[in-house]
Amino acid sequence: MRRNIFALLALGVLAALTVVSQADALQAQKAYKEMTITITVTPSPAPTGGYVPAPPAAPAAAVALAAQLLADPYAGPARVAFAGPAWDVSPGGGLQVAQVSTQPTPVPVQFVAKADPNAAYLHIVPHTPSVNAGYGKTVFPCAFEIFTFYTNTYSLTDWGYGTLKTGATPYFPIENYPTISYLSWTVPDFSATVTPYNNSGPPGETTWTGAKNQSQQHCINLTLNVPNSQPAGLYTATVQYNLYVTLP
Amino acid sequence: MKMRNVTRRWTMAATLLLVSAIPQLAAASATREGSAQINYKILPSIKAQVVPNYQSSFGPTGGLGSGSTPAAGPSAVLGGGTVDFGNVVVGYEYLYKYAAQVSVQTNDASGFVVYGEGATDLNGSNPVPAPPTWPLQQTLFWLVSSAANTAFSPASAFNKTSGTPLGANGSNGINYGAGSPSPASQIWTNPGAGNVSQGYDYELRLSGSIPTSQFNVYIVYTVIGN
Repeated sequence: MRRNIFALLALGVLAALTVVSQADALQAQKAYKEMTITITVTPSPAPTGGYVPAPPAAPAAAVALAAQLLADPYAGPARVAFAGPAWDVSPGGGLQVAQVSTQPTPVPVQFVAKADPNAAYLHIVPHTPSVNAGYGKTVFPCAFEIFTFYTNTYSLTDWGYGTLKTGATPYFPIENYPTISYLSWTVPDFSATVTPYNNSGPPGETTWTGAKNQSQQHCINLTLNVPNSQPAGLYTATVQYNLYVTLP
Repeated sequence: MKMRNVTRRWTMAATLLLVSAIPQLAAASATREGSAQINYKILPSIKAQVVPNYQSSFGPTGGLGSGSTPAAGPSAVLGGGTVDFGNVVVGYEYLYKYAAQVSVQTNDASGFVVYGEGATDLNGSNPVPAPPTWPLQQTLFWLVSSAANTAFSPASAFNKTSGTPLGANGSNGINYGAGSPSPASQIWTNPGAGNVSQGYDYELRLSGSIPTSQFNVYIVYTVIGN
């Protein structure tokens, strides 16, 4: 009896290991792409405050003269406004001081764009690859779209490029685990839930899944939260999207 | 008679003046020492050069996930030629290291500002796509050279100029008329005089919808004294 139990347990463990092993073997990363967003954090208007002293009281004689002028503006003697003998701007227009300048020979730039063999399975359509953001929370609706397709079931996953759970240099806005990313995503076609980007590196988080031969393209809304401690400047957020497919 | 007397007096006076001036003229030829204050103004001058592919390890990197390793195209040569990314795959990002170095020599104590912008958008040529151009502003970026730069480092976009391109597609520069380049195209500010240089890397971000073709553009640098 005891021998049978041990045999059954061993069989169970073996079966479990086989299933796990098969599940691992059937997953493959078909393609991956990086999506880069350029973010310009602009300074907030600085709150102003302070003490402005009241202007000194006008002399009594001036007050009396002003009152007299208001009461009878046309009383003599005749007054003519005069701004002084010098012209602020000389007749005929201002004086323009030429700035020295030079323009060296231009730099020619060229490239040959080749088709992406993986585009039929995964590609990104950027809409707002460069954004300006003030301090606080800003939503960028449909900042980009992602297209996915495969001939078998698949899943799209993402994580902040260059992030690691075991530690990596954190960069604003995605940062690195355990700090929560300041950049979040939503797929409005599926849910209104706003999710901070995974910043622990692979395996990341699931963006969506797809059925066999299902092509789909969805908008990604971005929400950026710029903390007051973040200096104004130029930043980039790079997210790696991965297409994992189930092999037949 | 009176008239003749007046003429005679004038002639005499002139003769006396001339005789009295002779010793002074002779004395003027002798060496004398003294000091003089001379005020003068040196006009500011600016010279600038741009050298493409300015360091030996120039060329493209990146293309992560594209399955191909980027390599500089044949038009790129050390210290000149073209910033030639070679073959790149649509949908990926690239970094071109040591793309261009701007050198400025000026005596202007107020310094200078360097602007860099595209003479045109990207012009597709082989094959000619429809439409034939692609927006430069969302495709080509610049950043100051650093060994730590990657294809994902923060970078600023090159803007298409509002000036008039000179020559074919701006191969001879940009005419700004009475104006100047857009403040958004400012890439470098130096506060004083001197002989200074700064190197730049370029980033190429090819969105998934750019047509397959050969693209060209001229990046024009303009240096203006403060």
